[in-house]
Formats: sequence, structure tokens, C-alpha cells
Amino acid sequence: MSSPTQALFANRWLPVLLVTPLALLIVIFFYVPIFQAFYWSFFLERPFGGGSIFVGWANFARVLSDPQFWEAGKRTVIFMVIGSSLAVLVPLILAVAADRQLRLSQPARNVLVWPKGVAGASIGVIFAFIFNPFAGILSPLNQWFPGIWAPGIDGTDAFIMLIAAHVWSGIPFNFVILLAGLQSLPRTMHQAAAMDGAGAWRRIFDVQLPLIMPQVFLTLVLEFTESVTSAFALVDTMTKGGPGGSTNLLVYKIYVDGFNGYDLSGAATQTAILMVFVVLLTGAQFAFLGRRINYER
Amino acid sequence: MVENARSLNFVAGTVLFLGMLYILGPLYLTLTTATQSYEFMLRNGLVWYPGDQFFSNVIRIFSETRIPQQMANSLVVAVSDAIVTCVLSFLSAYALVFFPVRWGSVVFALILATIMLPLDIRVITTYQVASNILSPINALLDITGLNSLIANVFGAPVMLEWSVLNTHFGLIAPLVAHGTGTFLFRQFFLVLPRDLVKAARMDGAGPIRFLFDILLPLSRPSFAALFVLTFLGGWTQYLWPLVASSTPNMQTAVVGLARLAPDMEGVMPDFPLIMAGAVVVSIIPLVMIAVLQRYLVRGLVLSEK
Repeated sequence: MSSPTQALFANRWLPVLLVTPLALLIVIFFYVPIFQAFYWSFFLERPFGGGSIFVGWANFARVLSDPQFWEAGKRTVIFMVIGSSLAVLVPLILAVAADRQLRLSQPARNVLVWPKGVAGASIGVIFAFIFNPFAGILSPLNQWFPGIWAPGIDGTDAFIMLIAAHVWSGIPFNFVILLAGLQSLPRTMHQAAAMDGAGAWRRIFDVQLPLIMPQVFLTLVLEFTESVTSAFALVDTMTKGGPGGSTNLLVYKIYVDGFNGYDLSGAATQTAILMVFVVLLTGAQFAFLGRRINYER
Repeated sequence: MVENARSLNFVAGTVLFLGMLYILGPLYLTLTTATQSYEFMLRNGLVWYPGDQFFSNVIRIFSETRIPQQMANSLVVAVSDAIVTCVLSFLSAYALVFFPVRWGSVVFALILATIMLPLDIRVITTYQVASNILSPINALLDITGLNSLIANVFGAPVMLEWSVLNTHFGLIAPLVAHGTGTFLFRQFFLVLPRDLVKAARMDGAGPIRFLFDILLPLSRPSFAALFVLTFLGGWTQYLWPLVASSTPNMQTAVVGLARLAPDMEGVMPDFPLIMAGAVVVSIIPLVMIAVLQRYLVRGLVLSEK
């Protein structure tokens, strides 16, 4: 056996030189903004460079006592829970179906990846039209039962529309990951289970699903972050946070507060809170959910 | 293995059919609407059969809107993002895997952390940084007291300013500041046989020679996967190009498409035109997916491992 260092180059400065470009970009456009969000949350920042005053926790007190912040936070969590569960569940069902060698499996594998090429904002524009209460697909429904579908007035309808678009864009990644997980299972597992008398349905629940739990867990973790952030494009193109703030998710509220309201300190404070929330959530998922999943094959 | 699973296969087939309908339905309706005239759409609403106005709608997109210029921006952003990400990620992963870098795992963890907090979350302060990317240097000079020293000697403190907003560089750089590529290449390098380096060294190849003659050819599939993935990511960005470009001529096509719909209440937007725009804007990435499917799927799977 050779020592591991023999398999390496003993150059000292070259690796530093090689990492520097990317590291520099990441420092400037990732770590500095993150630092600045926390820094600003303790200062009253005036737009257009008017100087800043240290205010301690006053920004947090202001944001946390704002009912709109809690409303947006609550809606973000609801969107996250419903949106990501569906965005994992639907591709999971599709992946289990596509894993069977059917005539439709091959075309489905191709088509289900297409949404990856359609921007969130584009599908937002498209869904806003398809679900338009006057010209859209549900407009006949409105002729029979006036007002039953009104995403411009009814917050729940708008929310449903948002979720439908979110799941649509989330299918490719989750489908590919879950299908790859299913296909990596050895055929012998199926055969052994079949020998023991497990039917095809039973094997889905007793063999396939438990064994691809690592992939399900991973897609769920990524999907949680994704649903908090990618919602912006959908909200901005479909509902603009309306009607009556019913789809005003935190990521959209931060944008509006910061860029339209020029409340930089408030926006930075909310950004800081949202970032802590996302990091804690990811950590918690790994700590609690991750441990229960059996990674052994 | 022969067994009777007819009920399951029937359900699975139905599921796949519904899934494809869910994906293709909206795309099909986009296409049919793009072929209608505005007046037709006002009278009939959404229809399932195509009309004959597709080319006139597309011509209007090209002559009446800024979508063509914005498509060029999208192309510049997506291609540069993909190329720069590929090159920089490749180099940094190479440095972290094939050299005994002190704090290497810490550096890698710091690079990987970028995946947790996407650009959309930190857009407010990223915007501020982009409005003067030299501001960290100013802050450093202030904190270290160098600036007061300079102010004493030269009469004024140093205040460097360089805004990258409304430039292609500003649109691209924050997208590149991401760890997925490094992660992807690192995973790939780690499964390569360790004896590769030993053999190369025995033959007298240095690190640069090894990089170009051995590692680069081996990494071609990973490059393709990362390129497709990053290109699509760059093309479909929305929030960052929206805030980082202040003039319509610097906006990307996706932003331009979202701006086609008027903000007025009570006016039925010109949906056929907008849908024609959606077709035009999405055609490049969709063709790319259809042709380079293999690499996309590979990239998605690799980025997960």
C-alpha cells in the first residue's frame, strides 16, 4: 500500500491559485451579502447612501411586531409544506410508474424533464393565462357557477394556482433523482420478495419505497429550500402577492419592502431571519429525519 | 420474471399518461394560443385547436418587443455562466482533491454552503454589493484604521467605487458564485483511481500536464453535464436579472417576457402575443433538453450524490 500523500501533488501555491477565482467570487457575492444582511439588521440604513445609525435590536423588534411579517411567514411555511410535499409525492408516484417497463415509460422519462427548460417566470405567465377566470380553462365553470373560480379575488384559488405551477416546475429534478434511486435497486431484491410471495403492489410499499428513502429525504430537503426561494418568480408573474396579500410569501415581501419601499433595514432584517430559518430547517431535517433513514443496502 | 401484475401496470400506465398530460397540457395550450389572434382569443377564450396567426405573432414579438435583444442577453448570460462555472469549478475541485491543501475540507465546506442559501434569498444585500463591489475593501480600510491614516496624509479617505449593476458581468458573476460545480467535479475526481497521479508522476508529468492531458479528457462527460445544467439555470433566472438590470436592453428574455403583460386592471392582456413570446423564449432551452437529455439527467443525478 502506498501512503495517500503519494497520490497527490506536493505543490504549495498552485492549489491556492486554482481555488482563488471561485473563492473570490463566492466571498464577494455570497459571504459579503450574508454578512451585510446581518450587519444591516442592527443598523437603520438610509437608501441612497445616507449613512447609518446603530439601533441594536430595534429592527428585529419592528419586524417581529409587524403582523404582515407573521402573515407572510405563515404563508411561506404553508406553501413550503404543501408545495414541497406535493413536489416530491407527484414525482415519486411517477417514478414508481416509470420504473415499470411499460410502453409509456420511455416517452414519459423524456417529457417529464422538459419543465427544466421552462423558467419559473415563464410557467407563471403561462399558468396565469390558463387559469385566467375569463379566458382560461376554468372559465366555462364560471359560466355555470359564477365566481367559483376567481384567483384574482379568492386567495385560496390564487394559492392553488401557485402550488400547481410550483409542482409543475419541480417535477424534472425530483423525478430524475427518484427514478435513478429506483433503478439502482438490485433486481434480485424484487425476485427475492416475489419468491416470498409478495405481489407487485406489495413490493412497492415493502421493498421499493423503504429502499429509496435516502433519495426521498434528499429531494425533500432540497425542495424545502427551493420552495422558499423559487416561489418569487411564480408570485411575481401570477399574483403579485395578491389578492389581499394572500400569496405574499416572505421572499416576495422582502423584495417589495427593499426595492419598492426602500426599507433596506427592514428587508435586511427579514432576510437575516429567513436565512436563519432555512439553515435551521436544513440542519433539523438532517438531525431528525436523516437519522431514521436506513442508508444500508 | 413472469407474473401477473395487470392491475398495477394499468394504474402505472394511467399515472404516466396523467403526468405527461400535466406537463404537456400547458405547453400545448401555450402553442395553440400563440397561433390565435387577439380578437379571436377575446371572443372564444382558450381553445384546444391551433389557428393560423402563429407567424404574425412571432413576427410581432421580433419587431414590436425587445425580446430579440433580451434573448441575446440571455444567451450571453447562460453561456458565460456555464463556461465560467465549468472552468472555475473544475480548477477548484482539482486543487481540493489532488493537492494536500491545508484547511481543504473547510474551504470545501464553505464553497458547499452556497447551495443552502440561494441567490433569491439574499437578493437585497447582493444587490447592494453589486452596486459597489469594492465596498468590502472600503470597509476593510475603515476597520483597520488605514483609512484614517490615509485621510491624515492625503486629506481624504479612500472610497473605491465600482458598480457592476446593469452590466453583463454583474448579471453573470453572482450566478457563478455557487458550489454545485465544485461538488460535482469533486465527486467525480474522488472515484478516479488514485494510481493515476502516481503513474503520471512516474512518467514525469507535473500537475499542469496532468490537468490538461489526463484529467481534462476524462472529465468530458462531467463537463457536458454541468454545462447543460448551468446553462439552463442561467437562462431561467428571474429575480437576479430583474433587479440587476435597470434598462430593458440589459434584461434577460425571461424578465422581458414577464413584462409583456400590462399591469392594468380589467384589461385582457394580449395573451396570444405573450404566449408566442413564451414559445420564443423557451424554445432554446427546450431544444437543448430534447437533444442533450442524456447529459441533463446525468448532471441532475450527479449533483445529488
